[in-house]
Formats: sequence, C-alpha cells, structure tokens
Amino acid sequence: MIEPFAVPFMARALAELALLALICGPVSVFVFARRLSFVSDALTHTVFPGVVIGFLAGGVEGIFAGALVAAVVTAVALTLLTRAGALSDDASTAVVLTAMFSIGVALVSRRSSYTSDLTTFLFGRILTVTPSQLAETAALAAVILTLLLIGARAIIFRTFDPTGAAAAGYRVFWLDLWLNLIVALVVVAAVRAVGTILVVALLIVPAAAARMITSRLVAMAAIGTGLILLASYAGLLASWTASVTYGFALTSASAVVLALVLIYLLLLPLGALRSAPSPTGGRSPHELVG
Amino acid sequence: MSAALSYSAVSAGYHGTPVLTHVDLTLAGGQRLALVGPNGAGKSTLIKSILGLIPVLGGAATVLGRPPAQARPLIGYVPQTDSLDADFPVTAAQVVMMGRYRRIGWWRPTRAADRRAVRAALEQVGLADRAGKHFGTLSGGQRQRVLLARALAAEPRLLLLDEPFNGVDAVSQEAILGVLRTLSADGTAVVLSTHDLAVAAELADIVCLLNGRQWAAGSPEAVLTAENLRAAYGGHAIEVGHDRTVLVEP
Repeated sequence: MIEPFAVPFMARALAELALLALICGPVSVFVFARRLSFVSDALTHTVFPGVVIGFLAGGVEGIFAGALVAAVVTAVALTLLTRAGALSDDASTAVVLTAMFSIGVALVSRRSSYTSDLTTFLFGRILTVTPSQLAETAALAAVILTLLLIGARAIIFRTFDPTGAAAAGYRVFWLDLWLNLIVALVVVAAVRAVGTILVVALLIVPAAAARMITSRLVAMAAIGTGLILLASYAGLLASWTASVTYGFALTSASAVVLALVLIYLLLLPLGALRSAPSPTGGRSPHELVG
Repeated sequence: MSAALSYSAVSAGYHGTPVLTHVDLTLAGGQRLALVGPNGAGKSTLIKSILGLIPVLGGAATVLGRPPAQARPLIGYVPQTDSLDADFPVTAAQVVMMGRYRRIGWWRPTRAADRRAVRAALEQVGLADRAGKHFGTLSGGQRQRVLLARALAAEPRLLLLDEPFNGVDAVSQEAILGVLRTLSADGTAVVLSTHDLAVAAELADIVCLLNGRQWAAGSPEAVLTAENLRAAYGGHAIEVGHDRTVLVEP
C-alpha cells in the first residue's frame, strides 16, 4: 500500500491545512469570545461574489485577488453597519449575507461549467493546492498572525468590557474593524483550499471545542490549532482510504470538517462535566461569603 | 494643581439631545463625590461625560485640567459587574492586568513592574489568593473588587465607579469602602454613583442629587434632606413617621 502522505498532492494538502490550523486556532478564539460566529458566516458568504468575479476575470489565479478585495470591503461594511446600529439584529446580517451570496450564484450561473465551478468555490480544492498557493497561504498566515499579535491585547479588553476599553482610551470602532479584517483575511487564506462554506467550521468549531477542555485563552488557541491538525490528518486519511481502498469518493475538505465536528461532539460530555454545578454551585462556601 | 473635576452649567446627552442639565460641580484631589438619584436620573450619563464617551452639549467641563476625553489616561473606571460576560475566559489577574494595557502598549510583553502592580492591586482589594481563579467563578462582590483592582493597577488620579455596591455582599462592600477611603487619603479623587443614600452620606464629602438635572450638590447633611429628596425623586419618595424620614425606592 502506498503511504498516503508520501504522495506529493496529499503532503501539500496537509501542509496547507497545517498553515490554516496555525491561524484558525487563535482567530477562532476571538470569533468565539466576541460571539462573531454569525458575522463570520456572513463574511464567508459575502466573499463569494468576489471569488466568482476574480475567477471570471483572471481564472483560478484571480480568485485570490477577488476574494481579498471582497473580504476587505465587506469587513469595512459590516463594521460600519454594526456601528450605526443597522446590524443590531441577526436579520440584517442575514439580509447582507444572502444578498451577496445570491449575486455570487447569479454570476457563476452564467458559465457553462456552472455546477463544477460552484462546487469548487463552495467546497474548495484541497488536493490541487500548488506550491505557489502554499507560499501565498504562508505569507497571508504571517500577516494574519502579526495583525493578531499586535491587536490581541486590546481586542481581548474590548471583548470583555467595551465601555471599560473605551474608558481606557481604546477606539472600539477601530478594534472591531481590526478583528473583522483578520477574520476576512482568514477567509481569503482558506477559500481556495476548503471553500467559502467550510471555512466557517475552521473559524467556529476549534475554539468551541477547546472551551470544553480549558478556560484559558492561550490554551484555547493552542488546543484549537491542535484539533484542526488532528482533524486534517484524520480527514485526509479517511478521504484517501475511502477512495483508494473502498473505491468511493469522499470529498477531502468535507472529511476534514466532519472529523473536526466529530472531535467537538466527543468533547461535549467533557464540557458538560466542567460546567456541571457542584453542591455549592462550583464555589467553596468561603467564596460565597467573600 | 488643577481640580479633579470642574463642571460649570454642563449639559450632556446622546445624539444632540441633553438627558442631564445644569451640572455645577467642583471636586478637588482626594475628595469623594457621590452621585445619587432615581433610575434614569443621569448618573451614568454624568460618569460617561467625565470619560468623554458622550459629548458635553453645553457649559464648560474640565477633568484634571483637561478636556474630558484627554484625561482618560489619568482616570480609572469601574463598571458594573453585571454588565460583563461572566463566562469570558479570563482569570482575575488577567482582568486586573487590563488596567496596565495602555502603559504596556500594543504588543510589548508585560514587565515585572506590571506584574507587581497587578499583585499589589489584588492585595489592596483583599483578593491576592484569587489571582488565578476564572473571573466567572468569583462571587458578585469579588468580581466588583477585581474590577476595582483593575482600575487601581492603572494608578489613576481620578476614580469613577458606576454603582459599585449593586448586588455586592457586606464583606465586599466594606472592602471597597476601605479602599476608597485609603485612595482619597492619598490624594485620588473618587466619583461614584449609588442608590444607597446611607453609603453616600457615610462616604462622600460632596453629594450630588440628580434627576434629569442637578437638584442639589454639597455636603451630605445639606443635600440629603427630606425636601430635596422629595423634589428630586418625585413619586418615588415616601414619608414615614413623625420624623419625616424619606425612604427612596431605587
């Protein structure tokens, strides 16, 4: 039997996912803490028309640029709308999300290869990642981690206590834009490999799963990265085994996300155990008094 | 040295509409000011105007000799505990460290001096042994003390507290009152809003009675009179017994 990860395209797929794990672990912690799950979902959908336009204009190489422009524009737009109070409820976010997504579908449906193109944009092509795409992802990962490192402290403060952060002199609007841009860049980095839909899983599930094990932010980020790595390895292996050994097609990116969700489900009882109230409500009698 | 707070005929509010008017206050360093009044009286509005988070719409306001927003680095702010997400994954020490963030800068690592300041602030509020505890597992009173410690870690010249005794047990209330007295003895000015008139009378040098506007300001004895309270609280004031005691619903 051939060793799966000795095959170049499998090794590149794993390397691409490892780079994504490196950024999605920490970023997912912020998405989790700021409760940005739905906003992240909206971002992944609003990037879609950019991906399509980029593809129509410049082929596969145009996807990156198209996604980047759309991501930055939507990050700014979402931040502005939230600030103005227009996005105070989920309904308005959903309107932006579906409107942009529809534009993307309308654009892509003009092509004769409609179905296969749509599948590529939505679910990515992890097994066809090229060395130059790997280099692009690595560069973007470096930018994202640098932005995160610079803003992390202020964003944590703002997330925990918006008024307190403003009182301390932080500009909350700029911090919100900062984080939205980081999330948007993650979507851009991941879109070719796992597609616009599945990237949501990488932004939400790792921190949610890590929270079952720890309540420390740094540990959550590290565990989140570890879980994506584990899911990537398991998912790619399952996908390979399914097609090589058993002869049925299991999309690699879907297998990775399914593995990630499976890990989450396995950790659920642990989370329930952690938050289960003890006879004193999880505190010593002394703490209840003090 | 300039006054900690100098408000002259100030009005403040949101979107150009004043919700609080006629505020005339002067607070010197080391003095303690209590803001009292019914719900929606404008206590939080006044605190936010001191922070420059909402604009002064009329009159003249200076905080520590500067326009309000520019004084923020010199101000410590203690929010209400229940306005925060108790499930947020941070420890008590990490919350207190937030008070040092502006000094530390955007991405420099924390230094020994910062960690010392955090430890000292937690000791000051009596929670040094809780440093590593998750913020959400602390009692309401302990959380309030952690937030006070966060403000202390910033070494402020003016401390603002928004309803610091709401939902706080007696032990924590005494601990907070003790810290506030020590601070003002060291020259820090203190402004707090409270529903508790007894605490206001006991703690404050100056009491400011608000309800949409400033009804009275001065010593507790001069301000917390039956007449003033009835006027400011309107239907919320009840007379009891022959000594004309006025009880005020929060």
